[in-house]
Amino acid sequence: MKVFILEDIEQLRDHLATQRQVFTPQHTEGSTELDWLPLTHKTKSITSAWPVLPTYPAKQFFFPDREILFQFDGHAFEEVLPEVELQILFGVRSCDLCAIAYQDQFFQQDPYYQARRKATLLVGIDCKQPCEGGFCPTVNAGPFIRDGLADLACHQREDESWLVLAHTPEGAALIQGLNLQTADPNLITQRSTEESQIAAGFPSAVHIEAGIQRINQAQVPAETWQSMGLQCLACSGCTNLCPTCSCFTSYDRPIADGIERERCWDSCLYDAFQREASSHNPSADAGQRVERFWFHKFSDAYVKTFDRYGCTGCGRCEKTCPGVIGVHSVMKRISGTL
Amino acid sequence: MKGLMTPQPIRIAEIYDDGEASRHFTFEAINGTTHSAKPGQFFTLVLPGHGEAAFTYLSLPDADGRFKALIRQAGSLTTELFKCDTGDLIGFRGPFGNGWPIDQLLGKRVLIIAGGIGLPPLAAIADHLIADKNTQVALIYGSHSPTDQVLKYERSAWHMYMPVLETFDHPSNNEQLAGTPLDHVTEIEIKPGGKPEAILTCGPEVMMDAVAHYFTQNNLASEDIWLALERRMHCGVGECGHCYLGSSYVCTDGPIYSWQQLTQLHRQTTA
Repeated sequence: MKVFILEDIEQLRDHLATQRQVFTPQHTEGSTELDWLPLTHKTKSITSAWPVLPTYPAKQFFFPDREILFQFDGHAFEEVLPEVELQILFGVRSCDLCAIAYQDQFFQQDPYYQARRKATLLVGIDCKQPCEGGFCPTVNAGPFIRDGLADLACHQREDESWLVLAHTPEGAALIQGLNLQTADPNLITQRSTEESQIAAGFPSAVHIEAGIQRINQAQVPAETWQSMGLQCLACSGCTNLCPTCSCFTSYDRPIADGIERERCWDSCLYDAFQREASSHNPSADAGQRVERFWFHKFSDAYVKTFDRYGCTGCGRCEKTCPGVIGVHSVMKRISGTL
Repeated sequence: MKGLMTPQPIRIAEIYDDGEASRHFTFEAINGTTHSAKPGQFFTLVLPGHGEAAFTYLSLPDADGRFKALIRQAGSLTTELFKCDTGDLIGFRGPFGNGWPIDQLLGKRVLIIAGGIGLPPLAAIADHLIADKNTQVALIYGSHSPTDQVLKYERSAWHMYMPVLETFDHPSNNEQLAGTPLDHVTEIEIKPGGKPEAILTCGPEVMMDAVAHYFTQNNLASEDIWLALERRMHCGVGECGHCYLGSSYVCTDGPIYSWQQLTQLHRQTTA
């Protein structure tokens, strides 16, 4: 890994824009939401919105809410792979980078995901302070970028200059031509110390830790899940905004001379998610479905495969839930710390 | 993986009625393409404009790429499929899933217990075990009533090669066995020497659970009791999420599980 000093983060951003299309979190005019949008000359500094997370994680770039899988013309089925312009996501936070790594593994055989992913380079930014509702340190997903999860990781120092860590050869190639000065190795050590200090500033997450333990010991009474099931509106807000959620369904749509198959995001919280043609439904009870969602996020059974939990501590589910069953509310209830 | 979600065209070669609202289909590959599959695996059929659904191999693809399925009309896709004729072109993806644990069955006394439409997933493994001289196999098949029975031709062949008992919730005469397969389980003898060393079962989950409990109480190890599960297997490749069972996806880790594996999966959750 090579590390460089950068005076001005916008200099890097504009340099990247000469090479590929750049997307970065920014406010749409008149909106308070932070969205992933193409870089323009009006785009403000990446630091202007700190510490707010983008409303959506970056998963839509690789696993869009709708995409075509194949077409059928009456005789043959033709795979339709996405054609994606080479792009850079600039300013991805550590929690979302961990989720991308999780989905990279989950979708490793998926040609649609991989076509989009291979056209994309990731430039991450270390978070300087806790965001509202975030608990990334508890699930080892931040606040600083884990090695290898971004092509470039940017870290703002106290004097407001930046360290740029080139984790991949592609990342190193991106900054060629900027003539950046190599950083003193001591600065890397300083960065690690600083991460511990920032992590210590996050609010207590004992309810998350205790909740994880109770889920893994299957100690949460069925009645507790059922009472939370009553409070689930099955709106799919949590599953849409969750950076690791990946369930989908598909349907056929008529086109000239045939059909095309699209897939779109689905949600394990919908009552018909598992219903079979026979009407047998293994998760007919809303409490079972709420349990399923949290089991998928916090069961140790998945750590064997993904080397991390399915939750990266972004807290978006808590913000979006119109009921009271986002991550903090649920974990407080099941851990008995409410 | 290229083509992960994209079907291959196949043609419907034969159709005949076989049981209540059920039909026996033979499919053939187009352009001589064939594929191999294992007993207990499944595939999906794609009816353009109507979606896709999973079905079990009744017989595995032969050298010409012909394979069979017994399909009951249950939802919108099978309703459309039942409007199809021989010669019609539809889509196919597969094979998917793990299949029956053949290596752990060969040389043993194997009892197959099927309920209702649970018989087809057991047909290819029954044929495979019958063909092995060192394996002894027997079948108990329970149905709601005689008109609900499926696989009439396959069953008449099986009667020649292994002990077969057929039971009915509602028999139509006094000669037919009344009751569930478990009511008659002691009446079937698997030579030589009697008691089964492995159980294969497929049917309603309450029936399979009862079978598993019965045999574990009768000193059969839970790793020797194998169940074929049905879930909504949508993508077949462990991505879409619909067929979850605890931390397992039935489409890739199943659809065949030992009772030991299922017990562990059930213990993961509480609701």
